[in-house]
Amino acid sequence: MPTLTIDGQTIEAAKGTTLLEAAQQLGIYIPRYCYHPNLSVSGNCRMCLVEVEKAPKLVTACSTEAAQGMAVLTASNKVKAARRDVLEFLLINHPLDCPICDQAGECGLQNYYMEYSLAKSRFNAADKVRRPKRRAVGPYLALDNERCILCTRCVRFCSEVTKTSELEVMERSDHSYIGLKEGTALDNGYSLNIADNCPVGAFTSRDFRFKQRVWFLKKTPTVCLGCATGCLIEAQHNENVIYRLTPRPNAETNTWLCDYGRMTYKAVRAGDRLTKGVIKNGQIDLKPALREAAARMDEARRSAAVLGSPWLSVEDNAALARFAKDALRTENYCFDFNCGQGIKDGILINNDPAPNTSGVKPVKAACGGITLTELSRRIAAGRIKAVLMEARAAALIKDALKAAGPRLIVFAANTGEIPAGAYAALPYASYFETPGTFVNYQGLLRRTKPPVEAPEGVKPLWAVVNELASCSGTSLGLDSVEETLKGIYIK
Amino acid sequence: MISVKKVDNKPLNLLERVYLLEIARGIAVTAGHFFRNLINPEGMPTVQYPEQRIPLPGNARLRTRHRLKIRADGSPKCVACFLCRTACPACCIHIEAAEYPENTVEKYPAVFDIDLSRCVVCGMCVEACPEDAIAMDTNELPGGALARPDMMLTKETLLRDIPSTGDPSVKGASNRLANEYLKTRGEQ
Repeated sequence: MPTLTIDGQTIEAAKGTTLLEAAQQLGIYIPRYCYHPNLSVSGNCRMCLVEVEKAPKLVTACSTEAAQGMAVLTASNKVKAARRDVLEFLLINHPLDCPICDQAGECGLQNYYMEYSLAKSRFNAADKVRRPKRRAVGPYLALDNERCILCTRCVRFCSEVTKTSELEVMERSDHSYIGLKEGTALDNGYSLNIADNCPVGAFTSRDFRFKQRVWFLKKTPTVCLGCATGCLIEAQHNENVIYRLTPRPNAETNTWLCDYGRMTYKAVRAGDRLTKGVIKNGQIDLKPALREAAARMDEARRSAAVLGSPWLSVEDNAALARFAKDALRTENYCFDFNCGQGIKDGILINNDPAPNTSGVKPVKAACGGITLTELSRRIAAGRIKAVLMEARAAALIKDALKAAGPRLIVFAANTGEIPAGAYAALPYASYFETPGTFVNYQGLLRRTKPPVEAPEGVKPLWAVVNELASCSGTSLGLDSVEETLKGIYIK
Repeated sequence: MISVKKVDNKPLNLLERVYLLEIARGIAVTAGHFFRNLINPEGMPTVQYPEQRIPLPGNARLRTRHRLKIRADGSPKCVACFLCRTACPACCIHIEAAEYPENTVEKYPAVFDIDLSRCVVCGMCVEACPEDAIAMDTNELPGGALARPDMMLTKETLLRDIPSTGDPSVKGASNRLANEYLKTRGEQ
């Protein structure tokens, strides 16, 4: 445990701690480009130079281990001059692209220039070195070599995290540039992390490109529902529109976020978003659709079935269970889901595509119900006349549905989810629009926080269930989210 | 503490207190203007705005209706960087950015609306523009309108070239890319 002083403050750092990390523990920020806490140390950008007493030259804080008795200065005149000069070197050939660059507003060069330099350029803008401008590399990224400062965070990400090594520094010295290896494309499923990691505007997201300036974006911490991993994310939005999802790094679950998860926000404003009820492929207002669905469920009564869904929150599953027990008074309801959970690719993507398989278990514990195989058997045997469920859960019993063909009444957020042959579909607010409780594969509680508002007239699923019950003359009394969770114990 | 200033108003004298004489003096002034304008209507300083307008002095500090400058090929100089929108204190600018497929300038405004009914004519958009693309030098005063939509300036009505101002100007960060693109297109 070496003890050292940084800017006069004493710290006892663990063995192997670098100066940059030790300073961070003291709350002293050292500027950096190539250093990233989750990638290997490269030490090429020279932005983190600090002065160590009795050392002949300035040292890079990111690659120097803390040693006994070190006296480090991070704000001496020598260090300040070094930072200014490093920035000047980086900016000599950096194009004046800020007005057309998506990184502007969250750009390492802009921020550090304002903080550490503010020097006027001594070089002629016309003499800047030219490099290829933007081109698409892979389905999600665009690369602009002229803006690159060769920090190699992208190269290290591809070789260390995804282990696909598509990117490499080509050529030598001042000819060097970041390039794709021949015959590869950046489609490793995690490529958008490169756009996040890039401290400048060299890699930008093709999806987010030019949609919105970053300084207009507001950030809401929420949860990714792309699979059972349940990564913590941040939804960035403005004026009721989500523009992108970024990871919220945490020790338990995720540092990064997969491309699939990042695109899940698109369903919220997709062209096929369901805002009205659907009866036999024709869209009608929600009220008459609810009455029609309630009448069909009433008709079936005891031979009606309710299927929960691992895609729905605990609240919404609980509301469905209450509907089966108190409104329909049927025995045919199922909240029994099992899926072999675990990280499929060694990074983030889970074997279980549904976000809440673990979260339905407390509902089953509280409300009981039959198993999925038993429900399938009863449907296939023709004992069930009508099934109420969430659209995506239909895939779990699709063989039985095909065999018997009961009336399907589904809840759907997008028309694309509605299974073929469904009798009625009812809209509900997605979890970007309403809060919901989920439990991820590790058993960790995940609560979504809605960044945007639902389209007019679209309500959370538990509220739609409540109305459906009142249409058939039963009051479930589900007036708030808290009400739905009554009697359910999530550990 | 509010400071109070006492004013010693001159007390009215007898003639002023009589009142009638002062009325007659006021009517004489009004009647004098009336007859002078009746005999010589050209000398009248008032005009029938907005049908009739006085030419503006052409002062460099004058802020008049906006315009968007254009490049040599007729495309807008604006690159939809949103800085005018950010600077605008009245939030009257609406921009939607789009991407050129081949032009290295990459970005252009697909929609650029200025709501004149909100605009406070402060000129902050012109100050903020890094591309020297927006100007308020049309010498047209935005007049009134009968309906709100008539006060909306769209990209089509904003794009305008005024040759006497020396357009296309060479200022602006993305101008290098634009000129290079125009050059390569000229060679083809």
